[in-house]
Order: sequence, then C-alpha cells, then structure tokens
Amino acid sequence: MRKILLVIERDLKTFLNHKILLLMRALWFIAQILLFGLIASRMVVVPNYFEYYAAGVTIIILYSTAVYIGYDIYEEAEHGIVEYLLSLPVSRKELAIGRSIGGGLRSFIYVAPLMGIVLALLGVSNPLLLLVAFFSLFLFSFGVAGMSMTLAMGIKSADKFDILMGVLDALIVRLSTVMYPQIFIQQTNPFYADIANFNPLTFASDLFRWGAGLEQYITFSPLVSIMAIILFFSTFTFIGVVFYERKLEGGGWE
Amino acid sequence: MNLSIEEGEIFGLLGPNGAGKTTTLLMLTTVLKPSEGTAIIGGYDIRSEPDKARSLIGIAFQDPKLLWVDRILDVLNWHAKVCGLSRSERKRRVEWALKELELWHVRRKKIHGLSGGMRKRIEVAKVLIQRPKIAIVDEPTAQIDVVGKYRIWNMIRALRDEGSTIILATNELYEADELADRIGIMHKGKLVVCDKPERLKDSIPGGDVVEVHTEKEVSETVLKKLKSFNEVAEAVVIKPNHLRVHLNKAEKIIPKIMEVFFEERIMVSSVNITEPSLDDVFLHYTGLTIEEAEKLSPIR
Repeated sequence: MRKILLVIERDLKTFLNHKILLLMRALWFIAQILLFGLIASRMVVVPNYFEYYAAGVTIIILYSTAVYIGYDIYEEAEHGIVEYLLSLPVSRKELAIGRSIGGGLRSFIYVAPLMGIVLALLGVSNPLLLLVAFFSLFLFSFGVAGMSMTLAMGIKSADKFDILMGVLDALIVRLSTVMYPQIFIQQTNPFYADIANFNPLTFASDLFRWGAGLEQYITFSPLVSIMAIILFFSTFTFIGVVFYERKLEGGGWE
Repeated sequence: MNLSIEEGEIFGLLGPNGAGKTTTLLMLTTVLKPSEGTAIIGGYDIRSEPDKARSLIGIAFQDPKLLWVDRILDVLNWHAKVCGLSRSERKRRVEWALKELELWHVRRKKIHGLSGGMRKRIEVAKVLIQRPKIAIVDEPTAQIDVVGKYRIWNMIRALRDEGSTIILATNELYEADELADRIGIMHKGKLVVCDKPERLKDSIPGGDVVEVHTEKEVSETVLKKLKSFNEVAEAVVIKPNHLRVHLNKAEKIIPKIMEVFFEERIMVSSVNITEPSLDDVFLHYTGLTIEEAEKLSPIR
C-alpha cells in the first residue's frame, strides 16, 4: 500500500509542476464560462442555459484533465522514465494501480476548486446530493484516467495517440449532453441521441447538474447515472491497470 | 554470456557502444525480459521472482532518466522514499549526496535548467543515496569533468566498501582499469573474456615491453640468455646500445634481466618498462581497437 501511495504522490507532484499548463487550463475554463457561456446564453432559447453550460464545461475540464495521464506516459517514455520506474523496487501491479489512482485523483483535485466556483455561481441547494454527485465525478475521473492509460499503452505511438485523443475529444464531448440537452440531440438525429445515451460524459454531467439542483435538464435518473459511472470506472480502471502492467515492459514506444 | 559476479567486488563490464552492456544491465534490473536464459540475483531468478530481485538492485542509467519539470530535491527525495529509507536517513543521505556531487546550491532548480553533467550527477546520486546490495552504474562519469570523475570514482569505491556489489559498465578503458576488481570484455553481444585486469594484461603474449639502454654494445650472449627465459617472447636490438624485450610479468623478471647484464659486465644506463593497457587487451581478444569496434557497432 505504501508503494502505491508513493506512486500516487509522484503523479500528483509531477502534475502540479506543470504550472503553465494548469494555469492555461484554468484560463480556458474561465473564458469558456465568462465569455462563451454568457454570450451563448443570450442567443440560446433554453432557459438557464448559462447554468446548464457552466455545469457542462466543468465536466469537459474534468475529462480533459484526467486524460492527461496518457500524455504523461508518452513524456515518460520519451525521457526514459519508463525504464526508471520499471527498475524500482515497486511491483508492476503497485505501479499500475498507483498510476491509475494518481491520474484520476490529480485531475479531481485540480478541478475541485473550479467546480466550487461553478457551484457558487449556481447556488448549491442540497449539500448531500452534491456530495453524491462529487463522489460519482471522482469515480468518473478515475475511469477517464483508466481509459487514457488503456489507449496510451495500447497504441504506444505519441503521434497516433495525440490524433486519436483529439478526435475522441471532439466526438465524446459533442455526442453527449455536456453542451446541449438531450432533446435537441434527439431532434437533430436520433442516432446521435443513441450514442449520447451511452456516453459517460452524459452521465457525469447529469449527476453534476442533479447535485447542483439543475434537475430539469437531466436525461437519466441519478441512480442510472451513478450505476453507469460505476460501470465505466470499474471497467476502464481494470483494463487500464492490466494494460499498464502488461505492456509497460518491452519498449516499442514511438 | 555466462558470468558470475562475486559479492563485494567492483565488476567492470567493458566494451564499445553497441556491445550489449546496457541491454545486459536492463535485463538484470528486470526492465527488459531476456529472450532466453536467465540471471540469479542474490538467490532470486529475474524471470520467476523479478520483484524480489529488483528489491536488491539500484541502477544509475547511462542517460539520466529525469523529467524536465521536476526539481532535483523532489527527484532524489522521492527516489529515497520509494527505496524504503526512513525520513531521517533520507534527509541525511540526500544532503550528503547533493553536497558531495556539488549540487546542493541548485537543489531547488528544475531539471531543464541544468547542464548535461549536472543531470548525470543526479542520476548517479540516486544509486549513491539508495546504497543497494547490488549497485549498477552505467557509464557513471560520461559528460563529467575530470575533478568530478575522480570524486564519483571515490564514491563508487566507498559504496563498495560499505557492502555493495558494483557492476560498472563503461567504454572508458581507463575507468575500468582504475575501478574494477574484475573486468568482463563484451563485443557484439558476447562476453569475450573475464578476469582480473592484471591477469588480462598478462594474458597477452609479450605484452610487457622493457627498453634497456646500455653504456656499451649489447652482445649476442646477452640476447641468447634473455631469450632463454620462459617469460621473454622476443628480444630485439634496436641500436647497438638499445635493446627492446617483449615479455610477460615484467615486474618479476626484471631482476633476472639485470643479472644477465651484470654477468656480462655491461653497464645499464636506463630501463623503461611499459605494461599493456586494456586497449591492448581489447585489441588482443577482439582483433579491433575499441574505436574500430564502435564504428562496426550495429547501433551506430
């Protein structure tokens, strides 16, 4: 357990050392809410669209921050850190579990204050619901980190991973209820709505809105969303840990 | 490769770039899985018990394994923690290593602001702080200035004296000669020869060269007597009063050579002894100089 905690500690510290990146992400987040959110809310007919959008952007930043662990893996491969980690008196399993937890935890820690800002803007109605929603988002960030680790270890090519994550980001964000309610997706194309209904970002944004008291826009019941997030978390954390443990050795990085 | 390394020795793995030294070390540290064969480290098989084998090993890699955004102190503290050092011991050893390697003044700096030599010293510091049972150092003084080289050599010797077994991979022949108790020469992925440096040098027939300058002409009798010694491979008259003798174990036979000149009443004005270097040993066993071997390396 001690070794896992140390691996997590390393991931947190390394992440916090990327100060420029963190600052830029925070500025992006603020600009999205205070510029795009405010302006778009004036031209969108959906009532309280600003609140809807602010909650959605919080999920987007949580997702994009949790994904960062995959990029870290490539940076480590480039600088030879993979060999260093493999040579340490830490078992492969401890290393893989530590990386998965570290990747999720650090994104949640980073996004938590931004969530706080959004909740202050929205006005929290029920702290208990919010805690449940927070916990689900906590699991969501681990699931995303696991997914990113799985893809990074499966591809082992920085360029391909970068392209894939760009495309995935475009699809996974836009084919979800993060930025627009499900009813509009359904009206545009029922096929899009089918995809959005299975998108973890839909469940995560549903839960955050539910916790923040914006339940008029949620697609699924909170219980369904929680179950879906738990399934997403357990599947990708497991696969991510297995892939990292099995594929870290042997080189082949591009 | 079939090799055993004794506990408490400094074993030098010598060979040109591309000989397979680093690959061997990566297999020993369980970073790479051997395609065939295995190694036993402190009783643990690297294939079946890699975690236990790894618990005995520490390595300073050839290329520093550092993230540019990390700070020196954080890197070394975390390394000490993960290697199981207590808080007080960690603090003591990290401070000691940073001061000894002249990194104390930059300890809070990020890696990207450091020179190549400084980064290399941080890499070496990891293993010096860890003090593992088996310490592997891969070209520990590459990119390091002369003063720094001597300091690191002394620290490696001190590490051995404290009980660590050292495996030193290097392509610097002088470094291997200076530090290693035994040397294994690698070429094209194979261990060509392995022994103590003196015995490797003695294994070259006529490797020692003794140059004798005399007051008067060297006689045929002298030549005949010298050639009768088993250790003498060849004796050549360069000039009438200048003799060159190719032999083995010069340090043992010099008194006998002097005795021959004394018997023949020839005054010796000077004697110069040259031992073979590890370059000569490498050349003898591979047929190539280390520079030639590097040029032929598939990794280039």
